[in-house]
Amino acid sequence: MKKGSFKKLFIGALAVAVMFSMSACGNATGTADGSASKDSSASDSGKTKLYVVNWKDYGSDDKDLIKKFEEENDCEIVNTYMQSEDDLLTKLKTSSAGEIDVCLPNCTILPAAIKADLLEPVDTSKLTNFNSLFDRFKTQKECLGDDGQMYAVPLVWGSTAVAYNTDTVKEAPTSIKCLFDEQYKGKIAFRDDYNDAVMAAALALGQDANNPSDMDAIKDLLLKQKELNKTYWQTGDEFSKLFASGQIDVGLMWSGQSATMAKDGEHIGYVVPEDGGIGWVDNFAIPKNSKNKELALKFIDYMISKDVQYKWASQGGPAPANKEAAAAIDPDYAKSAAMDEESLNRLTFMEYRDDKTKQEWNDLWTSVKAS
Amino acid sequence: MNKKTGILGKILIICVLLYLYVPIVVLMLLSFNESRYNSLPFKFTTHWYQELAADAELINSAKNSLLLALLTGIVCMVLATFFILGQRYLSKRTSGIFNSLVMMPMSIPWLIIGLSILLMVRFMGFSKSMFFVAMGHIVISLPYSLLVLRARVSSLDKSLEEMSASLGATPWTTFRRVTFPAIAPAMLAGGFLSFLISFDNFPISYFLMPNGIFTLPIEIQSSIKFGFTPEINAISTIIIGISLVVLALVGIIMRSNIKAMLGGEE
Amino acid sequence: MKANKKQVMTWPAMLVLLCFTLFPLLIMFTTSFRSDSTGALTMENYHKFFSNFMYIKLTGSTLLMSLLVTVISLVIAYPLAYIMAKKLKGLKNVILVLTIIPFFTNQLVRVYSWLIFLQDGGILNRLFMSFGLAENGLGILYTRAAVVIGLTHAFFPYMVVTIYMALERMDDSLIEASMSLGASKFTTFKDVIFPISMPGVMSGVTIVFVPCLGSFVEPRILGGVNGTVIGTVIEDQFFQLYGWNFGAAIAFVLFAMVLIFMGAFGALGRRWETE
Repeated sequence: MKKGSFKKLFIGALAVAVMFSMSACGNATGTADGSASKDSSASDSGKTKLYVVNWKDYGSDDKDLIKKFEEENDCEIVNTYMQSEDDLLTKLKTSSAGEIDVCLPNCTILPAAIKADLLEPVDTSKLTNFNSLFDRFKTQKECLGDDGQMYAVPLVWGSTAVAYNTDTVKEAPTSIKCLFDEQYKGKIAFRDDYNDAVMAAALALGQDANNPSDMDAIKDLLLKQKELNKTYWQTGDEFSKLFASGQIDVGLMWSGQSATMAKDGEHIGYVVPEDGGIGWVDNFAIPKNSKNKELALKFIDYMISKDVQYKWASQGGPAPANKEAAAAIDPDYAKSAAMDEESLNRLTFMEYRDDKTKQEWNDLWTSVKAS
Repeated sequence: MNKKTGILGKILIICVLLYLYVPIVVLMLLSFNESRYNSLPFKFTTHWYQELAADAELINSAKNSLLLALLTGIVCMVLATFFILGQRYLSKRTSGIFNSLVMMPMSIPWLIIGLSILLMVRFMGFSKSMFFVAMGHIVISLPYSLLVLRARVSSLDKSLEEMSASLGATPWTTFRRVTFPAIAPAMLAGGFLSFLISFDNFPISYFLMPNGIFTLPIEIQSSIKFGFTPEINAISTIIIGISLVVLALVGIIMRSNIKAMLGGEE
Repeated sequence: MKANKKQVMTWPAMLVLLCFTLFPLLIMFTTSFRSDSTGALTMENYHKFFSNFMYIKLTGSTLLMSLLVTVISLVIAYPLAYIMAKKLKGLKNVILVLTIIPFFTNQLVRVYSWLIFLQDGGILNRLFMSFGLAENGLGILYTRAAVVIGLTHAFFPYMVVTIYMALERMDDSLIEASMSLGASKFTTFKDVIFPISMPGVMSGVTIVFVPCLGSFVEPRILGGVNGTVIGTVIEDQFFQLYGWNFGAAIAFVLFAMVLIFMGAFGALGRRWETE
């Protein structure tokens, strides 16, 4: 008798818990689906969904641009956001069929993704806008597999170089050494990123930033640099808020975000100094297990079209890979956002690094930070 | 025995509350500040609230967070109560092992737990679903419910329950009349902490959430690459406001209900 | 026999933990023994951790920091919980709720608010300057002190809840009895009140110390160049490096340490209780 009622209580509680979970999950999914398709109506559910792994607030997820594509192709774009490049690799490796249709890797992880057979070759002849890309991007080596096929389409490029406060730094710095300069002690914001840290130090030392020859010298320089820093920033959010409060004179920063901040009225200047800067290229790729490859291709074609690229770049985004779009941009603006040819030629573009190099660089950087 | 709080006590309470609310006040102020980058001096605007009103995605993500956290809080409260009550009948050794097991989700970084559940889901050939998100949230929030309950139950005398049973009360009656009144506040508080842990969780949701579904922490974390706007401060301010009102209401209702249920006993 | 039946109550929680913590973490545990390059079974990840003095040093400083935060939390939380439980009548629930309300905001947003508050030229700085207490730049932000301020803020309210739950249950007549037997306030506290509240203190220590060890958001954002802790190293392995294997290895070392520390705390606590 006692046993019976106890068991009943137990089972009852479990049942309640399960019921709750069912109903709440149902609700959560319901509302979330509603949010994904902004103007949710019954007919929406029948549309093809294109799953894009994107950077949030980058421009490639711009609502107006996406809406136009959705209307033209009668589909729905569902963005999922990534936290970092290596996180995208995690996402690709752990996704099941149909979960990702388009993703946005940069050159540091592309070869790894291609080698792991995660990406689908892109038939560039089906891209109507492919020929408008700058030549250097059409043959970008990181996008090419061993079989000579193209596995990703360059979308935008930009640089990580020197941002400075135009109020306190009157003349644009001419050397990346300014980030290692006593003169700005306590007013420097360096980036907390092993790749950028090692590359910037290599550039300052005149080494090949992609294949540095003297890691010990780099470590010494970074250790010395640590004393001069206000902070190491990791996210654009941190940098922009710190900069806006007037704490920073010079910093290692992205071209795109500097341009956005300048557009918002911050007194920020950006320059790729004479001795160089770090260049990067973001590319669109289609995972092998996508179930909407045709539509994914169309989406990529749309994103590299002149109109989209022009609109994106002129709103304070990164530099377009489409040369027609680049030509249409106001030259003064292009120069201020370091999208001009002079800046481009000064850059050392980030290359793919194997796991061993990555670990080595990261160990160096961790030991600098921990010292 | 003086029931009054000394002047020192009052100062302590005020100082602690000040400390607690410094960032909250700052956060609220910044939601009314014009600068997108939170820069001072302060210029008043309601611009961010207008932006927020038009941002269906952000509001929806807040709703999703709330639902998920409610579910997690309730389930954790039930599971933790059962566990704590049952644990007293375990041998010391088993109890110790169970304890370290329960501690596990708290002492292993959540991003590792999130990723490992994802790997398991893949391994078993399932696809991501809300079920796994909920389970992930439950395991990481459970220790909080348990710890609060343990603080209470450890001082609970088992003999009272045994006495009640020996007097012929059914387990249910014993629970309702003896155990429950003693641990109800801790059950509630524990469930509430679990709710909060889940409400603010990023890594578990991030790894397990099906495509296109967002919670508030995911929205915020994804925004920090390029910077979140004071819209986030605005929605936080609103959430704080609402929760204050709701808690006040719940407090008033609960007080009268519990009293009635327990026959006036506090 | 009856006691055995009641053990069943622990099963649901254990089942959930088994399926969604133990089993998945076992998968992770095996990866911590895998080589990054070849995928073969190896001890190299643990070897790397223990052979590099840097990681040990970082772990040590993280432990110290967590202990400091735990002690500060205890110093703040115990008196507060005591006053709430024993001295306040109706107000206690209000204060309990007020301690918890800040957690309805996102952790990141809270940390950023601390940043705005603490930074040079920020709100605290401006306040100090308006009273003529400081010139320019307090220099609090981007130090270990800022990290401790942030972490304590993030965790001590949990401790208030656990201690309060233990104290509130205590019978006031015990205190009165002790006092009437001529014990001083201090003796009463040491011999009667504190031992009874011990389960709450132990829960509270756990609830602060353990998450503190793995934290990385507060250290990174508030600590700046001084903000590297073992948690940030683990995070980097997963988000910047695709180095799951090593990241997992560090995490399990940390877990082992948690078990040891909790064992020590537990023994300490029991001794106090039985004294």
